[in-house]
Amino acid sequence: MFEIFEYDFMQRAFLAGMLIATLASISGTFIVLKRYSMMSETLAHSALVGVAVGLVAGFNPLWMAVVVAVISAWTIEYLRSSFALYSDAILAILLSGSLAVAIIIVSLGGAFNNSLFSYLFGSILSVSKEDIITIVSFGSVSLLVLLAFSKELYFIAYDEEVAKTSGIKVTMLNYLLVTVVAIIIALSIRVVGSLLIGALMVIPTVAALQYRVGFLKTVFISLFIALFSVTAGMILSYYYSLPSGATIVLCVIAIFVGSLVINKK
Amino acid sequence: MPLSFKVPIFDVKNVNFSANSQKILSNISLEIFNGEYIAIIGPNGGGKTTLIRMLLGLNKPTSGEIKLYGKKISDFKSWDKIGYVPQRASLVDENFPATVEDIVKMGRTSKRSIFSSFSDKDRQAIEDSMIKMDVLDLKDKMIGKLSGGQRQRVMIARALASKPEILILDEPNTGVDMVSQKSFYALLSKLNKEEYITILFITHDVGVIADDISRLFTINQKINICNSPKETLSCDEMSALYGIETHSIHQHKNHEH
Repeated sequence: MFEIFEYDFMQRAFLAGMLIATLASISGTFIVLKRYSMMSETLAHSALVGVAVGLVAGFNPLWMAVVVAVISAWTIEYLRSSFALYSDAILAILLSGSLAVAIIIVSLGGAFNNSLFSYLFGSILSVSKEDIITIVSFGSVSLLVLLAFSKELYFIAYDEEVAKTSGIKVTMLNYLLVTVVAIIIALSIRVVGSLLIGALMVIPTVAALQYRVGFLKTVFISLFIALFSVTAGMILSYYYSLPSGATIVLCVIAIFVGSLVINKK
Repeated sequence: MPLSFKVPIFDVKNVNFSANSQKILSNISLEIFNGEYIAIIGPNGGGKTTLIRMLLGLNKPTSGEIKLYGKKISDFKSWDKIGYVPQRASLVDENFPATVEDIVKMGRTSKRSIFSSFSDKDRQAIEDSMIKMDVLDLKDKMIGKLSGGQRQRVMIARALASKPEILILDEPNTGVDMVSQKSFYALLSKLNKEEYITILFITHDVGVIADDISRLFTINQKINICNSPKETLSCDEMSALYGIETHSIHQHKNHEH
């Protein structure tokens, strides 16, 4: 059973998978509670524009994905706070717009090949040492920021206005949260793919919410679900030659359905 | 300057507020002093909530000036002195992952420094406010599973956790049954008299206004400040209030508080 860990690339894949599961589920808790779930999908598609630029211009696609996703996150947050009524429409426009731009850049640059495919659907087995270093460095800073401001972000998610009147810097923290989320999503698309990262970010929290427990317990349940799904998904994908990102997402959906059934009133 | 001079908590001068070219509040001036117990009544759409939101810095006046403790709202930093319980407080999202303690802790969040968890002092303040509002026994219960009256007490406990000097409540009885409402007003009086917390609350329900409020503001675009609430409740001004607009403005200047 454990021969899969004998390969360097599998060790890297597991390490990357665990890191992404941790980052995605913890940041996902705030995203879901703030009703920003669709934002993760939009940012994942914006990150693809960065990947496309990276592939065509010869820069590191992961770094470019981080840059473009962060710019997109700021744009979304600005538009959301200025035109609150249309925030879901803004997400839909940016989502398809980003994908269109990514496809055009890649096809003009002649890079429409397996590289882009692996960013769309994730290719955990091709995670390089450099990817791991990028994920660890950006990921640990992102995690620290989330932990440092977790109480404030939780308050804002519950009631933004009351948080504001209690002296919490709501606007600044909202921008900080979307920045961190953008970074985490950009880091994750290498592992689970831009079409699937939204699921890893949102579903573990939604599954954890079914247990109707306090905040800290919800975060831990969500983290456990994400780690378990990534592990199970990777083992299954290894033994049955399935695409890793899709297998991970199906595992997390299975746990979500199980959580729904267990907690049915 | 006379010895009795005191800086008001809120000092509102000639404030107007319009939204979508419609006038919501017109030429509002008022002062609120430490220790007062003030009710605000008025018809729906009369501008009660708008006024409170302006006092809290959530809405900016179209013109005029608001000062908190003598400072402009943009310069005011001591927000922990003000506890706010919004209108929809008892109408919570039932699936939100929050225990009663999680909610009350929120009220102490802005007091703590980054990276540090709650100090002993914070924990004590959180427990004290739960005891005061009689929700300590419920601290591990999920907020979504409580009754309207219990949720309301939790939201006030959250507001009290920062040890505020003034408590502002916007229609605190939304979603609360009559029995809870009575004990609720007794509790507000107690906070005002025993804890010396200044209280400002909005209600649309004239019948339940507590006997012991010190002043009554009636708002319908304009403000009418009444220093003898009981008289106001029985006089013609009430019909004027719920009619077109109120007229007389006679603000009490020399407060004993």
